Amino acid sequence: MSNLTHEESIRRVWRVCYILAFVTIFEIAAALLHYYTMPESPKWWLNILFVVLSAAKAYYIMSEFMHLKYELKAMTLTILTPFLFLVWGIIAFLWEGGYWLSLRQLWQ
Amino acid sequence: METTVQTNAKELWSGGDSPFKVSYGKIMMWYFLISDTFSFAGLLISYGAIRLSQPAHDPEITGSWPDPNEVFAAVPFVHGHYPLVFVTFMTFTLILSSVTMVRAVQEGHAMNRKGVLFWLSLTIVGGLLFVGSQAFEWSHLIHEGMTLKGNPFGAAAFGQLFFLITGFHGFHVSVGVLLNSWAFLLTFFGVFHRRGHYEMIEKLGLYWHFVDLVWVFVFLPFYLL
Repeated sequence: MSNLTHEESIRRVWRVCYILAFVTIFEIAAALLHYYTMPESPKWWLNILFVVLSAAKAYYIMSEFMHLKYELKAMTLTILTPFLFLVWGIIAFLWEGGYWLSLRQLWQ
Repeated sequence: METTVQTNAKELWSGGDSPFKVSYGKIMMWYFLISDTFSFAGLLISYGAIRLSQPAHDPEITGSWPDPNEVFAAVPFVHGHYPLVFVTFMTFTLILSSVTMVRAVQEGHAMNRKGVLFWLSLTIVGGLLFVGSQAFEWSHLIHEGMTLKGNPFGAAAFGQLFFLITGFHGFHVSVGVLLNSWAFLLTFFGVFHRRGHYEMIEKLGLYWHFVDLVWVFVFLPFYLL
């Protein structure tokens, strides 16, 4: 549990709200800027930026809104370690998807 | 006798005392959310695998992966091409409803029944607004010809995965609205106040933020990447 006062925790919540809103607006603006000004240029660097910003949003939602930052460390670790399986899942299946595409192109 | 009681009190794992200093109900909500994360992750990883198995976006190739700026460009009551404008509105309703939910939890800590009612009602309105917006988006896309059978914008798998994953997310939002409305009624009749704590609002808050969290990862592959 946190030792924050009622007023202090209210202030923190609105701060996280502004961060989430700002990051979302930034993402949309970057996507539209690319779409309108340079649709032909590669987008991979923008995609990396979107993934990083989404992870940042997830961090703020989990730590502040879901209060995970203020729980005991053992509890936080119990919740977060199962997600390591997803790292394997993402790498393995995205790899597999690329392989399916190469097979598709081989047969055509 | 007295010594055994005292050692038991110190042994956190021997029962009667939470080692995580969190109540049983909240821990179980967290464990449910972990399992639900894996359901969503399974769907989203399938999206990634299927997307990479199709030709990347190319206006020259029919059946290539569509550009989200072309697909999601409609705004209700407005004619014209406004990419990503409406989904920004949807994202903001969900973020704001998450904030109002935290405020309801905080007022619950302060045992302020009227405050809980006020912020919880705003959360319910935000959830309804989101589900309604999704209904508009779906009906518009179906009208344009994007169904489970075909997709005029490109790969048919895009539409199939879109309806499957946003549908599963929208189902979660709808369940959250129903649970929040139920908690609103219980708060209104003073059930939590007589119980002496508003922990139910906290548990529903965890669920509601989870729905917001999942939206971040639905929004990312469908609308941004």
